[in-house]
Amino acid sequence: MKLQDQHIQDLASGAAFLATGGGGDPYLSLLCAQQSIKQYDSVELVSIDTLADDAVIVAVGSVGAPTTSLELLPSIDEPLLAIRAFEHHTGLSIDAVVSFEIGGGNSLIPIIAAAAAGIPVIDGDGMGRALPEVQMMTYSIAGISPTPSIAVDYAGDTIAFDGISVLEYEQQIREFSMARGGMVTTVEFGMSAKELRQCIVADTVSLAIAIGEVLRLERGNALQLINKLQHVFEPTSYGQLMVLFSGMVTDVATSVIGGYDIGHALLRADDNAEQQVRVDIKNEYLTVWKGNRLLASVPDLITFVDTETGQPINSERLSFGQRVTIIGIACPPHFRTAVALAVVGPKCFGFDFDFTPIEKLIGADQTDSSRI
Amino acid sequence: MRIGIDVGGTHTDAVLLSGDSVVETCKVLTSADVMSGIVEALTRLQEKSALASSAESVMIGTTQFTNAVIERRSLRPVAAIRLGSPSGRGLPPFVGWPEDIAKVISGTVFELDGGYLYDGSELAPLNNAQLDKVVDELGRLNIEAVAITSAFSPMNAGPELHVDARIRQALPQCRTTMSHEIGRVGLLERENAAILNASLLHFSDHVIDGIENALASVRLTCPVFISQNDGTLMDVSFARRFPALTFASGPTNSLRGAAKLTGLDEAIVIDIGGTTTDIGVLRGGFPRESNLVVEVGGVRTNFRMPDILALGLGGGSLVGNNGRSVGPTSVGHELVSQALVFGGSVLTASDIAVAAGHASMGNISWVKKLKSELVSNSTDTIGKMLAAGIQKMNPGKTSLPVVLVGGGAAIAPSTLDAAIEIVRPEHCDVANAIGAAIAQVGGEAERFVSYNEISRETAIEQVCADAAGKAVAAGANPDSIRVNDIEEVAIPYMDNGATRVRVKVIGEVAVLNTHATTAAIR
Repeated sequence: MKLQDQHIQDLASGAAFLATGGGGDPYLSLLCAQQSIKQYDSVELVSIDTLADDAVIVAVGSVGAPTTSLELLPSIDEPLLAIRAFEHHTGLSIDAVVSFEIGGGNSLIPIIAAAAAGIPVIDGDGMGRALPEVQMMTYSIAGISPTPSIAVDYAGDTIAFDGISVLEYEQQIREFSMARGGMVTTVEFGMSAKELRQCIVADTVSLAIAIGEVLRLERGNALQLINKLQHVFEPTSYGQLMVLFSGMVTDVATSVIGGYDIGHALLRADDNAEQQVRVDIKNEYLTVWKGNRLLASVPDLITFVDTETGQPINSERLSFGQRVTIIGIACPPHFRTAVALAVVGPKCFGFDFDFTPIEKLIGADQTDSSRI
Repeated sequence: MRIGIDVGGTHTDAVLLSGDSVVETCKVLTSADVMSGIVEALTRLQEKSALASSAESVMIGTTQFTNAVIERRSLRPVAAIRLGSPSGRGLPPFVGWPEDIAKVISGTVFELDGGYLYDGSELAPLNNAQLDKVVDELGRLNIEAVAITSAFSPMNAGPELHVDARIRQALPQCRTTMSHEIGRVGLLERENAAILNASLLHFSDHVIDGIENALASVRLTCPVFISQNDGTLMDVSFARRFPALTFASGPTNSLRGAAKLTGLDEAIVIDIGGTTTDIGVLRGGFPRESNLVVEVGGVRTNFRMPDILALGLGGGSLVGNNGRSVGPTSVGHELVSQALVFGGSVLTASDIAVAAGHASMGNISWVKKLKSELVSNSTDTIGKMLAAGIQKMNPGKTSLPVVLVGGGAAIAPSTLDAAIEIVRPEHCDVANAIGAAIAQVGGEAERFVSYNEISRETAIEQVCADAAGKAVAAGANPDSIRVNDIEEVAIPYMDNGATRVRVKVIGEVAVLNTHATTAAIR
């Protein structure tokens, strides 16, 4: 499929839905992708199955603090500079690109790279949502090394990382990003199509486009919109959409701890002022609590949408008085294995409990008044 | 004594207030040149009360500048100078603008080295050779309006100030807008706001001159203030420089006016005009602001705007299908000639209101023949439209009272829902003008700070002082300033206590020392 302007706009909106509060506002990435397609050509979106086993693929995206990009604007040539520097550094010739995470602006960076380099972008990603760290990508979980890798800063200067562990790389790339204005573009995970086929979360770009199309065409009350979205998720490996709560934000308390935006939000039910929920945040929305009862936790998806318009709300834009609806979605099975839960489960975010699937948490509560 | 004026699309309303009480009101048709309508309204007010001539201040709300942007008229080409290279390659000023307005405003674009990073270090040093070329080019093109935007200027405005000074020195005829004076963090949105503002500077002189001339012609010599979109005021010399700050002041004034007329701090306000109905929410006596990025005429900005739901329903709305459809088409300001009660041939929502006994205007005998089924169906339809709108703005069952204001308020049925308390205050038809009259002076400031380098208390104190400085520059009495809102936003991933602190302050109009504060403004 050739990605046209409308596809890319829908992708940006659908990616915000799948970002579970994190991933940053995709608006700037969207502008870059639109300008790239204008300047070069539209981009071919291909299934991983169409590539030869030995095709060379890299993951491309941004690493840093999304808020700083509000002032330090990205450049449309950064992804191409990173691609060329990677090829120069490794001697490899790149055949296609794939994204780190479908959630947020990073869903669009590979499209900017693909347009400029004249190569296809693969339909899929390494998360199926957004998560903050490199070891949380399915590529890492499958044992593929993120290095050698290249990072490009705002001035177009590049740096290479070689032969370090995933956790060391995560630490070093974040330090580099902070030293260079808070946001850099990176090319990581040089891999063969055969390797990627084993660990890709497939078809998530098409899924995000389909979600974005529904958000655009059916813009309006969140509860009505959910039925329409359900149809989009039906053929995927994600679970059912569940309305966890609908109410007003009464408090947002977050602060920077250990390099992340950590805190919580409190909400009060529309139909019962006594009924409150608490949502823990570490860039993304991690848990939903009603009193001591857990309604959902990472890696299942927790998404906030504006109750009136159905449009997704990022955690950095959450504020007192907003009327929101919280939607929970069972994550695809790749994040529910023991190996995956060891890097993306609740304990990896500092919680002292093990993961319980959302359908089990909610199943016992079918008659709850907040469920619709 | 103060006078409030609302220049709407159909009517120009004026009110005379003594302290907290309404002395006189009047409503005249808005004139094509706007200013003669103001003169007429003020003359009427002076005829009704001798006190009007001794007013201590006049507050004016106008949609002139919003309409200019929406209709793409009275806009001047702008040279957009951005200091942020080498970042943002491929995203020049005007990126993402609708083509029709970009064509009108886009003069020329300069992307120069400069600006800052989040941590306070330079993004790139200013390049004076580049700047010399820009000055030459501006002179050669004879450009009158310039917008200057620098990366992280809300944190450090140095580069914008440097370029501004250089341009004004070399090209005294140039009018400039610096982005840090008008917008908050978010470079593209702030740049857009600065460009729109610069583009309106010429028209702003025209409108403000007109307002001052109108007042002079009725011998009012008191200070004049203009409503901003957050319900506060700016003095006219500030308004000349920042016309874009009036965007959305109309709905804001009706919300504030409703708060004043009812004494309610928490309420849903329905402002029914001739063509449209605006539904907004009062929180703490001020309009609840929108969560979303606000587009003005299709241009993305980050202005503070009230969260408003607009319905195609008003006094002039056409009634059809035996009362089962009302609006969105309206006879607008032709109401006084086309509605049945005025001898016309068009069945409007106002005719229904007269037939139902909710309003008295025109000649009731023209609507006596309307079937009672038609009247009750129409009233029902209007009630359902309003109830759905209320539900959208306030989902759930919180029991906020509903305040009805605006010239078309009479078309609303007497009850909407047993659970909803409806308040129809006296003088509700001139709520906008009252909102303008009671507005205060506000100031907002924002900074990126690190709580590791500066204590939280000191940081907030400094930002409060910045905000207070802006409020005083906009005409506030320094002694009356109170902090209205403090917002702290941590920056994800930054491990250095980096926080964005934003403060909004509000103060009373400094009537007595207006000349002093005006003189302080460049």
